[in-house]
Amino acid sequence: MAALFLRRAGLSLLSLLLVSLVLFVLTRSIPDSPARIVLGEDATAAAMAQFDRDHGLDRPILVQYGRWLEGIVLHGDLGTSFTTGLRMNRQVAATLPVTLELVIVAFAVSIVISLALGTLAAVLRDSVVDYGARLIAVLGVSVPGFWLAIVLIIFFAVDRDWFPPGGIAPLAKDWREHLRSIALPSFCLGVFYMAVLTRMTRSSLLDVLGLDYMRTARASGLRAGRVLAYALRNALVPVVTIAGMSFGHMFGWALIIEQVFNIDGLSRALLTAIQMRDYAMVQAVVMVFTFVFVIANLCADMLNASLNPRLASPA
Amino acid sequence: MSRFARRLANNFGGGSGLLGAVIVLTLLVLAVGAPWIAPRDPLQVDIVNQMQEPGPGFWFGTDQSGRDVLSRVIWGARASISVAAVAVVIGMAGGVSLGLIAGFFRGGWIEQITMRFLEAIAAIPILIWAIALVGIFGVGDGHWGPFTLGSELKLSMLLGVLYIPTLARVTYTTAAVESQAYYVLARRLQGTSSPRIILSDVLPNCLSPVIVQSTLLLAIGIVIEASVSFVGLGVQPPTPSWGNMLADARNYLLSGDWWLSVFPGAAISLSVVGFNLLGDGLRDRLDPRHATAALAT
Repeated sequence: MAALFLRRAGLSLLSLLLVSLVLFVLTRSIPDSPARIVLGEDATAAAMAQFDRDHGLDRPILVQYGRWLEGIVLHGDLGTSFTTGLRMNRQVAATLPVTLELVIVAFAVSIVISLALGTLAAVLRDSVVDYGARLIAVLGVSVPGFWLAIVLIIFFAVDRDWFPPGGIAPLAKDWREHLRSIALPSFCLGVFYMAVLTRMTRSSLLDVLGLDYMRTARASGLRAGRVLAYALRNALVPVVTIAGMSFGHMFGWALIIEQVFNIDGLSRALLTAIQMRDYAMVQAVVMVFTFVFVIANLCADMLNASLNPRLASPA
Repeated sequence: MSRFARRLANNFGGGSGLLGAVIVLTLLVLAVGAPWIAPRDPLQVDIVNQMQEPGPGFWFGTDQSGRDVLSRVIWGARASISVAAVAVVIGMAGGVSLGLIAGFFRGGWIEQITMRFLEAIAAIPILIWAIALVGIFGVGDGHWGPFTLGSELKLSMLLGVLYIPTLARVTYTTAAVESQAYYVLARRLQGTSSPRIILSDVLPNCLSPVIVQSTLLLAIGIVIEASVSFVGLGVQPPTPSWGNMLADARNYLLSGDWWLSVFPGAAISLSVVGFNLLGDGLRDRLDPRHATAALAT
């Protein structure tokens, strides 16, 4: 288990490093330099050189990368934006919790629903429940979340007054309003993965239930609930892997969903940074995304290793 | 079903695969024939007929500038399909060659470097990469020395690069197995050169999973193009795309003008269903061993 953790964590670290290097080199190699963006088109060469010297942009790219990395690793500091002069940690800290809450709610709800629905569909194979689950699985992967969001806003927020059409009500003021305001966005965010995970749970559980040792378990007189629990433990392995990836993917889709619902989350920060050509901020936000994604995958691997100890021993 | 219909359906892995093929074919016809099929000019501003509800004159209604929504949806197919298709072609060119090389020279440093690098790129979801890259390379037309790249072509090139790891992984898995097969050994003993064996023996045997994966990537490409254009980073107005039509419609949500958002969105969903059904059908037909669910983006 510890060996597996170290190996996986090492691989995760390697991808974080590679991604950050690619991002860093790309943002530093584009034609518009921060000096030109901040000082404007008519800046003199001397003024631009001075700007570069002040911000350490005249050094070799690998030295800049090293310093940036050092800031992140040693001080947890994403740096200061060249264009706005704002500390990026503060900007991320202000917007990340909003996005994180949305994603966690969406993730939790879709996991609970897809496990329940997928299990029911597998146990009651070819029943009404099964057909319903399969229909939801097909519809869920076909309808893009941000379009579903628009349709749901029209139906539930404009035509009827059931949910607010956008924004997030502060939790401190009224928790009921808060829940109402995150219901639609998190549903739209989660529905695709709910469909994928329902389908996976169903097919994976059906596979396991058909195996010989399941027949043995039933034949030896175990109660149906106990048999199902054993089956689920093995059937969940692929589901957990995909669920771990879903968490990171949901983070990406939250960008779009937040835009539909006018939510002031990480997406607003990223899109504003893109409009202002604030590349350092773009880079910082993408690093945050990568970090979340890598951590989610690592957690999924570890959970799988505890579900099925065979995965923990080196192949 | 008549015998002909059944044989036709079997070519696409069954009835749902055939349905997917029909949807995809319709889309292709709309995309290619947009200038002749669309009833009106998608850019024609018509102040008299602003915000018309769907009716006999305008089947899908008109938008805030009186432009015909039906014509814009038809032209939007062109933007979506071309971005997705160019991206898949680039991804196939890069992914299949890298996958073939890494799979054929298995166990060497070429394989290690290629696969580790591709895995790191695949460590971030495609959507986030796409938005980050568009953010870095700028929105709108790109200028590379004397060349100008339209926003659509730029988006498809970025997306194409992001498809490389997925297609490389698919090719690599098959190529690694095929390269160990006896017929490859036989070709080697005949003295055939490695590039020749790769192209004429290994490549043809790797194509089925690549075709299946590419069909699914087309669906993903359509959704990504729509999403990126929706947040204003993809296809730029006035060129109609389903994504930027939805972005426009976002401003008229609260006034109840539903047709502005329902039709482009339905077009996206229908295309995604079409490519997914076709992809699943082709998988049943070409590659039944690998019947796993694909996770989009």
